[in-house]
Amino acid sequence: MKKQQNKSLDPVVVITIGVVFIAIAISMVLFQSGTEGFLNDSGTMGQLMVAFITGITTGGLSCLAVQGGLLASSLAHQIEQDYAGQISGGKKSKQGPVARTSSAFPIFLFLVAKLVVYTLLGAFLGWLGSYFAISPMSRAILMILIGLFMIGNGLRMFNVHPIFRYFSIEPPKFITRYIRRTAKGTDTFTPLFLGALTIFIPCGVTQAMMATALGTGSLMMGAALMFAFTLGTSPVFFIVAYLTTELGARLEKFFMRFVAVVVLILGLVTVNSGLNLIGSPLSLQNMILRLTAQDDARGLLPSESSSAAETPASQPVAVDGEIILNVKNDGYFPTTLKAPADRSLILNLVTNKTYSCARDFVIPSLNVYQLLPDTGTVQVDLPPQKSGTKMNFTCSMGMYTGVILFE
Amino acid sequence: MIKKTFKVPDMTCSNCAMKLESLEDSLDGVKEINASYHRLEMVIEFDESKLTDEQIVAAVKKKGYTAIIA
Repeated sequence: MKKQQNKSLDPVVVITIGVVFIAIAISMVLFQSGTEGFLNDSGTMGQLMVAFITGITTGGLSCLAVQGGLLASSLAHQIEQDYAGQISGGKKSKQGPVARTSSAFPIFLFLVAKLVVYTLLGAFLGWLGSYFAISPMSRAILMILIGLFMIGNGLRMFNVHPIFRYFSIEPPKFITRYIRRTAKGTDTFTPLFLGALTIFIPCGVTQAMMATALGTGSLMMGAALMFAFTLGTSPVFFIVAYLTTELGARLEKFFMRFVAVVVLILGLVTVNSGLNLIGSPLSLQNMILRLTAQDDARGLLPSESSSAAETPASQPVAVDGEIILNVKNDGYFPTTLKAPADRSLILNLVTNKTYSCARDFVIPSLNVYQLLPDTGTVQVDLPPQKSGTKMNFTCSMGMYTGVILFE
Repeated sequence: MIKKTFKVPDMTCSNCAMKLESLEDSLDGVKEINASYHRLEMVIEFDESKLTDEQIVAAVKKKGYTAIIA
């Protein structure tokens, strides 16, 4: 009876549940309260959720593959010492539970330290990124570079070509040597210090997330992003690191390809978003928009085949020199807006409980960057354009796009 | 002391290099190990009278990798 009670109150389980609950609680606090500030802007809530989910899925396992060995070697030494101490003390019956207690707490300390340093790193990267994110153009270039870095890392994981190995950052030898030697320590300070040192050996997914934090161009957002991601990695890291380090090696083999696919997809999406943001005709959405617009101009798309709400052809030409674009949570409507050429126009951007990044409205060719209120109308002046001009517009993340056709 | 280069083709990330370098602490006769994931190799400086190539290959295998004398 007593034994069973001890088992159910295993500190490992308690701390695991604690970590998960703290993770959920902090996420909820982040996502629901105090959102008037930075969180409500440009759909950051969704971005943080994505970071958290990335952490709890691929990030945790990927981090474990890279950083788990360090923690394990530290723990193994400590557990070994615990056993030696217990055996010499002659209290065999208490061996198991006591050893567990002593391994759970260091993992917890390790993760707390990791969370703190990565949040600080995110803040620093976001702050650093603010210097690059002055204009949508520089932000777009940064996004494209980040995307290419992610694609390179994905291809590296697939072992496509030796050149892609250089996408993996090798920490300087003196740092890895120092970390390795510190891992032999057995005091309470060691896991705390080791957790902080993992900042020098980020896994591939963490590196990708660091690049995203840089792309946010905001100290707060960078910190929140890395916090959400690292928090997401913690429960998986904790549970698996505790269970066994062998499992980490097995998981590495199974999940590396899965992680590679995720990183590749994220990379392609990021590059595409960057292309949208500079108004490049090479982005997927712009290619589709142009194709459909051409078909429409040639009469290839019969107007009665589509609903009035989404048909570009059904969009009325400007009334009193004004055109209207509805900015919704899932994008811009209509996606193709017709406007008269050779005259000045006013573009009315109408939001109604819009909280997504569609609120960060960008016209790359005019260098227009407008943060819209969640509900209301904002007017943007459009200078006269020649007939046949196709003016792309997008959100600041390059996710939602559209085009104004002047004729 | 002698310096030898071993190819380790099955490294998959920078952490593998770090794992291999940890042999510095466990293999008697090793002065220094520099492993590189970028080049898929490890350069080991060791005392020939205390350690053989075969022992190094075996120690690397124990870490989960394959070492081939370059």
